[in-house]
Amino acid sequence: MASTCEATTRIVPGAAVIELSGDVDGTAAAILTAAYAEAVNGHDGPEPVGTVVLDFGAVDYINSTGIALIVSVLARARAERRKVVACGLSAHYREIFDITRLSDFIELFPDLDHAVSQLTGPAA
Amino acid sequence: MTQVARPAPGKPRRLDAFTLASEPGNERLALARVAGTVKDLGLSEARLERLKTAVAEATMNAIEHGNGNRAEIPVEVEVTLDGDEIIVTISDQGGEADAAQNAGDPEEPDLLKKLDGAQTPRGWGLFLIRNMVDAMNVTTDGQRHTIWLTMRTGGAAHGEHV
Repeated sequence: MASTCEATTRIVPGAAVIELSGDVDGTAAAILTAAYAEAVNGHDGPEPVGTVVLDFGAVDYINSTGIALIVSVLARARAERRKVVACGLSAHYREIFDITRLSDFIELFPDLDHAVSQLTGPAA
Repeated sequence: MTQVARPAPGKPRRLDAFTLASEPGNERLALARVAGTVKDLGLSEARLERLKTAVAEATMNAIEHGNGNRAEIPVEVEVTLDGDEIIVTISDQGGEADAAQNAGDPEEPDLLKKLDGAQTPRGWGLFLIRNMVDAMNVTTDGQRHTIWLTMRTGGAAHGEHV
């Protein structure tokens, strides 16, 4: 089954952003894995990427297999001592992040602007 | 005084019944059709989204684990209204093996264990279903394995935002 998931990556001050669209399900595995590698390795900045932002603003559907993919990304990021944050989740998927406890490990922001401003804002 | 005819209390009313080929991705068809069937029954947006997720996950299990992705074996879906309860049944032909998988459910998904590699990252399906609906039951009759999802049209489960 062809995947409807698409991912684009870009660097913003303080983080690499993975912008996802379509369906985050089992068919998205290769796309998400490649996007993560591109996000953390595919830049020539002087500093290593310390934070990865998963932007779900254009995602229509996440199923249990998609949750498993997000767990895998989080596990890899933790092993590499990187932080993962997420933005753009609907109320329903925020609830699923709470039920699965993903939100204990992934800070959630309403949208990418909030996430970026938090990441680039002055230290408290 | 005019009497208004009302349905007999407690008599279930079948709203829809359909089958799907056991092909990956067809859970989205079940999700969309059930959502369309129940859209005017008074579920809040949040509870409708919960039911949609439960239907999709249960149908995915039926396609993959019950019918082994064999397209020629249909997944059967039925939607019934019984009082204020929407009951969605999803049946496959996985029989006892399927039932054992559901009943076994040996280990609740634990995110920390998954992050540490002590559990596979997968295994969220039944956990999500149980947390999405007001009640979940499983029955097996020979090869026919059915998951029953119950969602009340009003109210909210404990601690739930509607």
